Order: sequence, then structure tokens, then C-alpha cells
Amino acid sequence: MTEQVLQDLITALRRSGVRISLSESIDAVSAAKLIGYGDRTTLRDSLAATLAKSQPEKEIFNTCFDLFFSLHDFPDGEGTDGLLCGTAIDSPLTQMVLSGDRAGLSMAMHEAGEHVEIRGIRFFTQKSLYIQKVMKHMGIEGLDGDMRRFQREKTLTSQQKAEALRQARAELYERVRDFVERQYRLFAHFATEEMILRYLRDARLSHIERQDFHRIHTLVRKMVKRLNDVHSRRKKRAKRGSLDFKKTLRDNLGYQGLLFEQRWRAERVDRPDILALCDVSRSVQAVARFMLLFLYSLNEAVAKIRSFIFCSNLVEVSHIFQEHPVEEALERLQNGRNLSIQLGRTDYGQAFRDFKEKWLDLVTNKTTVLILGDARSNYGNPETGILKLLHERSKRVMWLNPEPPTFWGTGDSEMKRYLPYCFLVRECSTVNHLDRIVDFLLKTR
Amino acid sequence: MKPYHDRAFVSIETIQRGFADVGYVCSPQIATTLYLAYHLGKPILVEGPAGVGKTELAKASANYLGAPLIRLQCYEGLDESKALYEWKYGKQLLYTQILKDKLNEVMQGAEDIASSIDRLRQYNDIFFSSDFLEPRPLLKALQQEAGAVLLVDEVDKSDQEFEAFLLEMLSDFQVSIPEIGTIRADLKPFVVLTSNNTREMSEALKRRCLHLFIPFPDAKLERAIIQTHVPDLSDDLRRQLVSFIQQARDLDLKKAPSVSETIDWAKVLVLLHASSLNPDLVRETLNVFLKFEEDIETVEEHLYGLTRKAIETV
Repeated sequence: MTEQVLQDLITALRRSGVRISLSESIDAVSAAKLIGYGDRTTLRDSLAATLAKSQPEKEIFNTCFDLFFSLHDFPDGEGTDGLLCGTAIDSPLTQMVLSGDRAGLSMAMHEAGEHVEIRGIRFFTQKSLYIQKVMKHMGIEGLDGDMRRFQREKTLTSQQKAEALRQARAELYERVRDFVERQYRLFAHFATEEMILRYLRDARLSHIERQDFHRIHTLVRKMVKRLNDVHSRRKKRAKRGSLDFKKTLRDNLGYQGLLFEQRWRAERVDRPDILALCDVSRSVQAVARFMLLFLYSLNEAVAKIRSFIFCSNLVEVSHIFQEHPVEEALERLQNGRNLSIQLGRTDYGQAFRDFKEKWLDLVTNKTTVLILGDARSNYGNPETGILKLLHERSKRVMWLNPEPPTFWGTGDSEMKRYLPYCFLVRECSTVNHLDRIVDFLLKTR
Repeated sequence: MKPYHDRAFVSIETIQRGFADVGYVCSPQIATTLYLAYHLGKPILVEGPAGVGKTELAKASANYLGAPLIRLQCYEGLDESKALYEWKYGKQLLYTQILKDKLNEVMQGAEDIASSIDRLRQYNDIFFSSDFLEPRPLLKALQQEAGAVLLVDEVDKSDQEFEAFLLEMLSDFQVSIPEIGTIRADLKPFVVLTSNNTREMSEALKRRCLHLFIPFPDAKLERAIIQTHVPDLSDDLRRQLVSFIQQARDLDLKKAPSVSETIDWAKVLVLLHASSLNPDLVRETLNVFLKFEEDIETVEEHLYGLTRKAIETV
């Protein structure tokens, strides 16, 4: 019995995003056995020590624990004992309600919850269904029957009983609703959030509503954390077949200078050096915003970045990210304050010319040039020559286009002309695309 | 751990009292985790801000159990040879030199290489026996016959490779040495790992440990701590001091004052024979518990308000 309770708590925790392995749940069971269920605080502390293994997880754990073990299902109230004259035909629920048997009611409710498998609740729309189910299993039909019977009998006591039952029924409904609500918050609340996030991963960034921005930020933070974990270690690449003679000598001193163990040379793999050029015209703005969020959330240890934005002309914006926290910096870019950028007709040719004039020196054979834009240049000179130059000078040029490939080259899109000078061209319109591209960027340094 | 240690861990209250006796005031949460760690035989991973007594917890445990404390300080680049064991190369060389004549004696009469190898084999691998093994902290902790407290300090500073290497040690309390075999602990050591959260520890490591987060103590607990460490401080002043520190932690500081710094401040105030806080006294001693110029400036701005509030709490 007790193990089932713990199992349910663990299920609730898992649904809320706490990762709990099998061995940890075994630990929790043995801890609970050792401590016993006598003292609530001690039990909470010991389960927290075995199940929740970081500060955020501890917070989730505390919420779940309180929801799970809340015992005040039925607040203290007066039983209407006087009305209970022990008529044998009354249903058990009627008897419990009239005698004010709170413990009994609470137990019946939990039992009913168990029976209708309330753990399976997923959506808030299911709440009323589960309320009905729980009430039904507790025997609400018997109670309703009793109530009708009392109403039909014209004696004073039965009228009083009917009235008391009506009130009690309303109260019972409230309690069951609270109960279901609590179970919903325990088992489904986070799951729903999780589902929205999953949907947002593949939603087109340009279509995302403002109110979902904070969700996207959470999402990006999660992805960035994963990327940081994977890529933050300094990579080394073995130079195959070349002996590090000094190190070999040093390490073999212990063997009287006999060379038992060879040491090979390895070279440190550099952090990626990124130049990001973002189109910030209306069509690309949303994607640019999130790509910059992505790049700048990455740990300093992972990548070196300089960023530029352009519309009719090109300006550098790296300093904004250095002076302000990422999210504020993004706001500043959005409204273009204190930047000498002209938000007129998009002109890729002009942007490339500006870049060539002022910043071409930055491009070395270690640089990755990342261009984000739809390549719609309003029929101006596309300056493919400059892109060719970049292609030759840099390690590689990557172009991210928020439009799907079928639109490339249609109308004023110059994508087809830029294509030959890019190492890689990808469609990039969702958070998932961004994640994959940044991952690729870090993987192939 | 030995049966006589069981008495020390018989209940949560006993632990709390016992630790208080050795000068460590622990909250019920800490005591519960210690109790579980002892009875489930699991290591404790302690996290929390700097200076809340993570390392001190291990020292106090050793003190309380009367067992030796073996400490392994982690840093980037720490590897097996520094954490587990190393062969005493020097001693091996020296012995072969000294025993040269003896070896010649042994070899005398052997006609060819095969028979001399045969003779050598009779002496087994004497040069790779435990006599020539230099045990480092982890191995030492396993070898203690009366049990030990093993402190792996700042495990987040070590590399991921080392963290993976710790796993065998933490789950089975055994290590493998290729030349000798597997060494197992007769008595499981009581293991405490501390982390300052400079990087997230791996799931595998967390799974094997109980997790304890020690936050900054609340006012009541902090007063108890100060009382244990600086008994000479008067009651009123202790209240004022703790209230001041607690308020200072709520300010936007680069590094909030830790418990150890509160203790330092209390000691300084005793030395200065202070009887009550006043703004001038606080200003002169701010640098005892604030370690950044900006922080000192921030607190100085609020100095009068904070001091007044602190004095009013008495």
C-alpha cells in the first residue's frame, strides 16, 4: 500500500520534469521504510534527499509533495447527527454525509480516485469528466435517490433531511472538484506545458505570438544548456603518428629512461569564430532575434561571436550584447534605437559593400560567416562577387534562409545566385532548425 | 562503518545533538540526510553557496565518529595517479640497485635465458606488490580498518573523465589495480562530496548519491552557529549582527556574506570589545565580511537603515 503511494508520488514528479531513475526510487522506498511515515517534515526531507537532485528539482519536489500529501480534504464542520435516525435503506454515502464522517468521506474519495485512475488525467477539459466519475464511484446516485425519496415524504424531518442532503451534496461537489483540481495540477499541469513547448519547437518563428516569446526563451535556454554541456569541453584532435618526444621522455623517467609508454602529439581544436550577418527586415526579424539569442546564450567558452545587422545598410551590434544582458539587447535591436541603421528597402548588395569596406579584415581562414536572410534584395545588384570573396577568405560561409527551398530564386530572391558560394544553405524557420544548425556549427569546428 | 558507530547514528536527534557537541549546528534537514546516508550506505553530494559549511560538515562528521578524515581536493587535471595510487618508482629503482648482487646470486648457475626467467618467476612480482604502492586518498580511504570519512572536495572542479572514474568507487566501494587486483573496502567509508555548482554534475553521479542543498541559514540557526563558534559575544550583539548580515544578503551583492564570514566578523567585534552595533563601527569593519569594493559601496549606501533595523530587532 505505502509503496503504491510513493510510486504515485514518483510518477507525479516525473511528469513534472524531475528525472528519477529506478535506483533512486528504490532508495526512496528504503529511506521511507527507515524513517517511517510518522513525521511529515522528516519524511519530506528524506525523500527530497533521495529524489530531487538539484535546486530547481527541490522546488518542484516541495510543490508536488505538498499537493500530494495534503490531508485537509474535508474541513472540520458540524455533523448533522440529529437527523440520522438510522434508516437502513439510506445509501452508505448518505449516512457518511449526514453523520459528518470526514475521514470516511476522504477515504472514499481517494479510493474512487484510485478506481477511476485519476492519474491518467491529461487536459483541463477532462476535469469535469473526472469529477463526475469520482462522484459516481462514491455513490452519488444512491444519495440522489435518498434525496428524492425524502422530498416525496411530506414529514418535517424528511424535508429537513432532504435540505441537509442538498447542502451536503453541494459541499461534496466542491470537495471533489478541489480534489480533481489538485490531481490535475499534480499529474497534468507540467505535461500540458511540455506539450505546448513541443509544438513551439516546430512552429514557424515568424508566426509566433508575442505572448509565447517567454516560452521560446525557456526552450532556447534548455537547448543551449544541452549544447553547452556537450560542447564546452576543450576538444583535442590527435595528430596521428607524430610522437611528442619531450613528453615521452618526461613521462618515462620512472622507467629509468626506458621508453615504455609513448606520448603522441595532439592539437587543441579552436573555438569556432563566428561572424553573424542578420537581415532585420520585417520578414526575417523574428528568426534573427532568436538566432542571436541562441548564439549569445552559448557559453563564452564555446564560441567567439561578432554580429552585424543590416537592412539598407550594415552596422555592427556586438557591443550591445557586451553591454547589456541578452534579452535586453534583443529589445534594443528590435527598435533600432541608437543604431545608425536605416530600415528602408532591403539591399543585400549595399550590406555586402559595407562589410567589405569596413570589416573584411576580420575574416580569416578560421572564421565561419553566418548569414541569415531571405536574400530578397528588391532587384538591386546582388554583389555576388563580394560573397565569392568571403567564400575564398573564410573557413566557410553558411546561409540560413527562413523561406522553404521551393521559394528560393522566385521573384526578387537572389538565393540561387548566392548558392554556389556557400558551404551550406539551410532552411531555418523554427527553433528546431536553429538548434540543429548551432549544433552543426559546434560539432564541425 | 563499525557497529559502535551505529550508536552515533541511532536517531536524527542523536545526530543533531552529537554534531552540536563537536561544534557543528545542523538543521533537521542536514541531520536527516546524514542519518539516511549512514543507514543506506550512500555518499552525500552537498551543494550550496560558498561558505555555508559544506566542507565543515565532513570535518565535523569525522570528529563526531572519531574516524580519520581523508580529503581529496579536486582540480582540473586531477587524475588516477594523484587520486588513487601510484607506484613508488624511486623505491623500486633503489631496491633493484641494492639487490643487484643478490640477483646475481640467484641467477648463478642458470645456463640459458629460459632457465633464468624460470628462476625469476619463483619470486613472483615482488616489485609490483603493495610494498611499492603509494596509496592516494581514495585508496587510503578503502584501506582504513576502523572506517574513515572521505571528503571529495569541490568535485565540480574536476574533469568529466575523473567524475566517471569516481563512479566505481562510489557505488561498490572498490577499485581495480591491474597489477594487484581489485581492492575492496572492509568497512565502507562515509563519503561526502561537495560541489559549488560551477558545472552541473552528471546524472550518473547524482544517481549514486543522496543530494543535500545547504542554503544560507535562517536567523535562528545562524545565531545558534555564532553562539557555538564565538561564545564570548553578548546576546544582544549577536542578534544585531545576525540581523544585519541577513539584511545584507538581501541586497544585490556580488558575493553575499557567508556564514564563515559572519563568524569572522563576530570574532572581530569581540576583539574590539564592542557592545552594540553602530554605523561607524560597521563601516570600519565592513571589509571583514565583504570582499569586493562594489559590495562595500552598496552596503555603505544602506548603512544607516540596516544598522537601525538591526538594533531594533533586540
